[in-house]
Amino acid sequence: MTLPIALDAMGGDFAPSEIIAGARRAVDELGLSVILVGVPDLMGDPLGLEVVACTEVITMDDDPAGSVRKKKDSSLVRAAELVRDQKASAMVSAGNTGATMASALLRMGRLPGVVRPCIATPIPNPGRTPTVLVDAGANAECTPEMLVQFAQMASAFVEAHYGVKSPSVGLLSIGEESSKGTPLVKETHQLLAAEPGLNFVGNVEGRDLIPSRVDVVVTDGFTGNVALKTLEGALKFIFATVLGAVATNDATKAAGDVLFEYLLPIASQLTPENQGGAMLLGLNGICVISHGSSNATAIMNALRVASEMDRDGVVEKMRLTIRPDQG
Amino acid sequence: MTADAVNSSSLDRAQVLDLVREQLAEILEKSPADIGEDVPFADLGADSLALIELVEALEENLATHVAGFHIDDEDLENLLSVRDAVDYVSAKLQVA
Repeated sequence: MTLPIALDAMGGDFAPSEIIAGARRAVDELGLSVILVGVPDLMGDPLGLEVVACTEVITMDDDPAGSVRKKKDSSLVRAAELVRDQKASAMVSAGNTGATMASALLRMGRLPGVVRPCIATPIPNPGRTPTVLVDAGANAECTPEMLVQFAQMASAFVEAHYGVKSPSVGLLSIGEESSKGTPLVKETHQLLAAEPGLNFVGNVEGRDLIPSRVDVVVTDGFTGNVALKTLEGALKFIFATVLGAVATNDATKAAGDVLFEYLLPIASQLTPENQGGAMLLGLNGICVISHGSSNATAIMNALRVASEMDRDGVVEKMRLTIRPDQG
Repeated sequence: MTADAVNSSSLDRAQVLDLVREQLAEILEKSPADIGEDVPFADLGADSLALIELVEALEENLATHVAGFHIDDEDLENLLSVRDAVDYVSAKLQVA
């Protein structure tokens, strides 16, 4: 029998109503099994879904690491414990990202050999499988060894989840030449090039994120987060600009009617709420982080991704990638 | 020193030092021999999350030795090195 996914009902700008609505859609439209974790008095109608009650909520302002200790009965901590105790197959939250990572790390633990978990964010690549960016913000400062591990874990994820054999890995830098970049980038380049089992193709630049010629892009968490937010902002601006131009007059509206038939499928692929959030890689369990402003559609897709990661055995495959001697 | 050895005997400072080194080494994926007693945690690569991991691991290991062993969150900001952590834990064990 499949274990349910534990959903933090209290995290996110539109919690709990949009979170619960997303869970209901995941059950009704995708056939998933979901349990809500939250404070019953604050949740309102759980829409017929099972609830694991707690008494505390970690807010967006709470210190990530300290809050896990101070609020032991919070929805985030309880959701992570359900995965640890094998009462849930995965956890999903749209709440405080740092606290989500801390809860998952402190309760589920790291896979043996993993120095630090990382956040993997799929970047849509119309016409092919998404490109996975690691680290998208968990570790602002990294060592070269950490970046190599991120590359290994992301490659295992891409292979298991998207079915790509020997995923290509690019190192984000300010030029394609191996001599370009910070000392961290240069040292990481050497390690990646020498790492057996990794299909390292060399440096890639910011403009190579979308569309991308590689399956995995590796960088430190600070750079990755800046790159991701830049991409989100640019796409949002382009969408708004195109929509604004189309609405100018009757002629542009008529042209829009023709174009949108072809543009809307592409726009749908690029829309954040359809991506399913970001994944924490390196944990002894599945944790999907949904954007803080997630609506019901985004939550449904985050639950979908969590379910797929469980189906694809992603955690076990990462365990074997980091410690092949334990296979 | 394994957690079992810690639990089955009274602890002196050297044993506490071994335990702290062992737990921190596991968290940081280093050898215990590389965990210097007076090296600041930050220089070892231990951020605030790693320190919370260490605190929770120590509480779990020492709770069976001293019931309800707990490290006060207010004291965490004063624990800047392995020596600080060992001195703190040793003092708490002696008081218990």
